[in-house]
Amino acid sequence: MIEIDHVSQVFQTSARRDHLALSDISLTIEERAFVSILGPSGCGKSTLLYIVGGFVRPSQGSAKMKGSAITGPGPDRGPVFQEFALFPWKSVLGNVMYGPRQQGVKHAQAEAQSRALIEMVGLKGFENFYPKELSGGMKQRVALARTLAYHPEVLLMDEPFGALDAHTRTRLQNDLLNIWERDRKTVLFVTHSVEEAVFLSDKVVMMTRSPGRIRQVVDIDLPRPRRRTELLLDPRYQKYVVDIERMFDDSGEDEIRP
Amino acid sequence: MITGRTLLVRLAPFLACLGLLAVWQAAALALNNDSFPTALEAIRAVPAILGDKDALINILASLRRMVIGFGIAVTVSIPLGLLMGRSRAVASFFNPLLMVIYPVPKAALMPIIMLWLGVGDLSKTLVIFLGVSLPVIYHSFEGAKAVEEKMLWSGAAMGLSAVERLVRIVLPAALPEILTGCRTGLVLALITMITSEMIARQSGAGNILFNALDMGEYDIVYAMIIIVGAMGIGLDALFERMRARLVRWSEPQFDIPLSFS
Repeated sequence: MIEIDHVSQVFQTSARRDHLALSDISLTIEERAFVSILGPSGCGKSTLLYIVGGFVRPSQGSAKMKGSAITGPGPDRGPVFQEFALFPWKSVLGNVMYGPRQQGVKHAQAEAQSRALIEMVGLKGFENFYPKELSGGMKQRVALARTLAYHPEVLLMDEPFGALDAHTRTRLQNDLLNIWERDRKTVLFVTHSVEEAVFLSDKVVMMTRSPGRIRQVVDIDLPRPRRRTELLLDPRYQKYVVDIERMFDDSGEDEIRP
Repeated sequence: MITGRTLLVRLAPFLACLGLLAVWQAAALALNNDSFPTALEAIRAVPAILGDKDALINILASLRRMVIGFGIAVTVSIPLGLLMGRSRAVASFFNPLLMVIYPVPKAALMPIIMLWLGVGDLSKTLVIFLGVSLPVIYHSFEGAKAVEEKMLWSGAAMGLSAVERLVRIVLPAALPEILTGCRTGLVLALITMITSEMIARQSGAGNILFNALDMGEYDIVYAMIIIVGAMGIGLDALFERMRARLVRWSEPQFDIPLSFS
């Protein structure tokens, strides 16, 4: 589905020095897989996601989607950002309808689909609220619905629950998993939480700190549908979490915290 | 329910106005100077001016120039400011030009403009245009610059082109800031309107004011100041009402308004 081929990314720092953010990343993401990119802050994991999204051009190497080179953003890859990035002048319904309307879906049909999506993410009754009137967790639910509304083939999630409190975070993880297990889109999910990565993913890509390299790819062989209460007690889940944390500890990647 | 406190908040603006007029009245009585009429004398002269057909035509002509100058300035400045805020190339092209015009009092350009374009409507409207443009460009620029990158990325992922992103994301996202600039621009339009008529004495509200000054009709002078001031307050209140409606989505819940509306 997505092929990342020898991608490197160099940034110019404010001191006009070159900073190598990503170094020689090659990765293949299969269709309908839930893949997490896990690493300490500043390891370039978000940059990698932006390259797949087409928002950032890699300095070297290339990224392909279904065999054709990624040259810019497109509705086949839908981003969900940590900052929500909702349109503040639009209501919840207006935000969710924005994508389908842009794709030329008729107003009545776009509205019906959007209302159904808003209900699916648990925000029925909030259709006419403005983003400023919502909590962080609710905003991220709207952002997810807004992206799902234009049916991207791949979801690109950039630390989507990073700005939320622990309780809200857990609830959104559960709901995301429920939604995902229904239609199984391809998901690329950036996080710095080991538990979140193991809980959600089929595959966890571990990255090293700056310059970001792929350290190891761990397949998470846990049964689906996953239920949080069962999984937390499952020794296999616990072993994945501990093993991954140990691997980071060994290399002094100390900014990884559960 | 109206408590004593909310009643006080509502009445406060009127109390302030009454207080100001009372101080004026007392000061004028105490000084007893011909060039300083009392508040009552000035207020009494207001209906006389507004009842005079010539004066009314003059004031309406002023307003017309102001509306046209303001309208053109806003139409040109908002797109320019937004483009400057999103494109480094556009910004570095226009920046030096604007920085040269910025510190110059626009009324000081009036004599030169008069030489070229005469003392008629064109010169005065042009000066108003110049006076309004800069704050609107500046605020549009700042507003566009502050638009969250991820919001634009979200739009790009939905398939919006660069132009569509400017019109349908940058413009609405920057609207609160743009309208702040327009509000400043509106008051500046009124100021440049009067000063342009002060320099090119041919017609308009400013002309009435300064003619009265020449002839020592001080009650008319003060009455005109009251009329121009009332126009400013009225226009600002009208604009503020429209602005509040347009950017309701961005206003904080408990706001202390700085306006007469």
